[in-house]
Amino acid sequence: MSLDSRTQIDGADRYARQTAADRPGVAQPVPVRPLPAQPWNRILPFAIVLFALLLAAWEWHWRAFGATPGIRNTDGLWAIQRRRIDHGEGNATVLTGASRVYFDVQLPVWEKLAGTRPIQLAYEGTTPLVYLDDLAADANFTGRVLIGVAPDVFFTGFAYRGTAAKYTHKESPSQRIGQWLSMRFIEPYFAFYDPDYALETVLARQAWPQRPGRPDRLDVRKLAQTAADRDTHLWGKVDTDPAYRALARSIWHQEFQPSEDDPPPEKLKQMIADEIARAAKDVAALRARGVQVLFVRPPSDGEYLEFENKLFPRAQTWDALLAATGAPGIHFQDYPELNQNWNLPEWSHLAQADAECYTAALYTIIERDFWPKHDPRQTKR
Amino acid sequence: MVFNSLTFVVFFACVLVLHNLPLSWTTKKINLLIASYLFYSAWNPPFVILLWVSTVVDWYAAQGLVKARRESARHAWMLLSVVANLGLLGYFKYGQFLVDNFGALMGTLGIAWQPAHYDIVLPVGISFYTFATMSYTLDVYLRRAQPANNLLDYALFVTFFPHLVAGPIMRPTELVPQFEQPRKASADQLRFGLALMTLGLFNKIVIADSFLSRVAERVYDGDKIPGMLDAWAATLAFSGQIFCDFAGYSTTAIGAALCLGFAMPDNFRFPYAAIGFSDFWRRWHITLSSWLRDYLYIPLGGNRHGERRTYAALMATMLLGGLWHGASWTFVVWGGLHGLYLAVERLVRTRFAAYRPGPAMLVALGLLTFALVNITWVFFRARTFDKAWSVLRGMLGTNTASRPILPMFGLLTVAVIVGGMVLTHWYMRGRTLESVVARAHPAAVCAVWALLAFAIVIAQGSGAAFIYFQF
Repeated sequence: MSLDSRTQIDGADRYARQTAADRPGVAQPVPVRPLPAQPWNRILPFAIVLFALLLAAWEWHWRAFGATPGIRNTDGLWAIQRRRIDHGEGNATVLTGASRVYFDVQLPVWEKLAGTRPIQLAYEGTTPLVYLDDLAADANFTGRVLIGVAPDVFFTGFAYRGTAAKYTHKESPSQRIGQWLSMRFIEPYFAFYDPDYALETVLARQAWPQRPGRPDRLDVRKLAQTAADRDTHLWGKVDTDPAYRALARSIWHQEFQPSEDDPPPEKLKQMIADEIARAAKDVAALRARGVQVLFVRPPSDGEYLEFENKLFPRAQTWDALLAATGAPGIHFQDYPELNQNWNLPEWSHLAQADAECYTAALYTIIERDFWPKHDPRQTKR
Repeated sequence: MVFNSLTFVVFFACVLVLHNLPLSWTTKKINLLIASYLFYSAWNPPFVILLWVSTVVDWYAAQGLVKARRESARHAWMLLSVVANLGLLGYFKYGQFLVDNFGALMGTLGIAWQPAHYDIVLPVGISFYTFATMSYTLDVYLRRAQPANNLLDYALFVTFFPHLVAGPIMRPTELVPQFEQPRKASADQLRFGLALMTLGLFNKIVIADSFLSRVAERVYDGDKIPGMLDAWAATLAFSGQIFCDFAGYSTTAIGAALCLGFAMPDNFRFPYAAIGFSDFWRRWHITLSSWLRDYLYIPLGGNRHGERRTYAALMATMLLGGLWHGASWTFVVWGGLHGLYLAVERLVRTRFAAYRPGPAMLVALGLLTFALVNITWVFFRARTFDKAWSVLRGMLGTNTASRPILPMFGLLTVAVIVGGMVLTHWYMRGRTLESVVARAHPAAVCAVWALLAFAIVIAQGSGAAFIYFQF
């Protein structure tokens, strides 16, 4: 368009199609939508074929990488499990925590030993206190709750996926239907349909030039495979592919390096105290309702364990937590059967086979020392 | 439900099938009406009642207007519509805002009064459908339109799902006549409608949600102080995000309506190529700006009562237009800045009426317009004035304690996408999408369509709500 005429700047004739903006103060007519002259009858089928070919190539690429179809770990999936408490399973056993409880506790193993399948509400990278607050406020919940403690998450209040409870309470019928459709018709069939392979995520992690003064940090990659009831285990590739395992370790390694964003020691101390106080409040509310609470510190290894011991010494975190809440706890270092020579490929989570053994060992201790299978307190409710 | 959801895909497929069955026109309209109520209630079923209230009040108000013999009775019917609609809007959208501000006012007067928190849920799209229903009564009142022949056509005008929750804000004269005669899309209309929906969803899912929103969030929702580069990049990202989000919605809505055989008006005309702010507002959210002009600015006197009154009407319209977007003073400032820009532009045009800018100056004025629009987006995006000032200081380069926030990928994303968007708007500023598509080679149209659809799928959108749903 020419840009040298004042009339074209001021007059409505500069617009290629008139709209209500060009017709002040009058009744607006029925709009006219012109149809571009194109062989649409041929364009559409060819576009569909091209789209299908592109999608097939993308799917093939990710399957070649090792991906397999799985259920997406979304707030909608979490909500399905959370609703079980309000729909007749208020006295169930609920698992909360961060990724270690989520990946390490295998629901089929637990069910085989306990006779019932627990409700998995743990969420990766997220303090369980976000969801313990929600359970403490829900009078429908009168069962048992296992609270996983990953020190760097629990005692800082970090909540990477902290919106699930709010989402559950506000989930619209449309979102519920969408979750149902996705779980049945999309997720079980497409390996590429995983947040780790989303277009922006894939592009963002390419080797772009580094911005001066802002060191690039790698985001955590896909680590787990999830089923429809949130039964989750460490992805096999982390265990079997040395390059991918090294990548996963290098990502954790970033966390262990001092950063300008780290809280100063006094602030960290205060954060730990705040989170312990928050846990004590929730535990008191739950126990007042007869809910049985048990803290569990799952195993970690290598540089991760060193980092945790350095920043979150047991005496000031785990021991202080149990003292403040008055609740029992299982620390993996206190039980030989939980402190075996486990395979933790990236120092933080158990490989699937070991996760099954760990779950069996953990459940055996729980039933023996804390939650007997036939507990009169449970059956009374 | 949102357009960018699996639920909508299934819903729309069902609607298309139903609309193409050999049923009577009345049955098809009833199907569309029921589908539209389902579309709305998929968010929060009880809020359908509000939609019914707004529909019924304006239906009877318009009937009353036609039957009224005295002017005072006509006024009364018109006022009933305005009060009922603005009452709904006021309670649900501005109730808490008014109570909070009253509390703050009492505080400044030294009176201790703690405002109650009502936890009012904002019904999706209430600002859009109340404006649509009001335009019906006001057009009848202003004798620009006749009432609809029957309640079904009128209810469908209010509720028709493509425009219901985020526009384009339809006028009764644009849509009601389309319900009077049987309508069904031709095969080519259906195909082009699907192509428009693909383009709209690409804008929303790929550009707005996947690439630009995260850049804006890192700066606007974080606690770090931005420097000049980060502040500008985040604000430019938001300017691209909000355009792609909202224009994406409008394009999808127009495409969905076209698939059913209905025509909806343009809501955007490549606004980032605007030269000046009167041009901008004839390109951005056209159906809202023309609504405000016809039902607020002109009744306030428009430009018919001298310069002072014109400026006052202009400023009042833009301030209220800002408040329409959200119950927050930051939106009022956003509207106020646009009012100020329009007033200054009017003044300059009057003073330099004989000036004829050359091509280079026009480009410079266009870029100045874009830069100043970006300043207003700061207040639109920031949740607090503190954050807005922090970003503005960053844009002016006066944040001395800043550290780099965005990674190189974020900066490149903004440069490529927003730069490309502005260039595209300039190329398209005197064209329509249809004219460009008509001139393209069919193989290119086919390839672009397939690539857009492919990008939508692999972007794996989260089904995030459109920004304008909150308004």
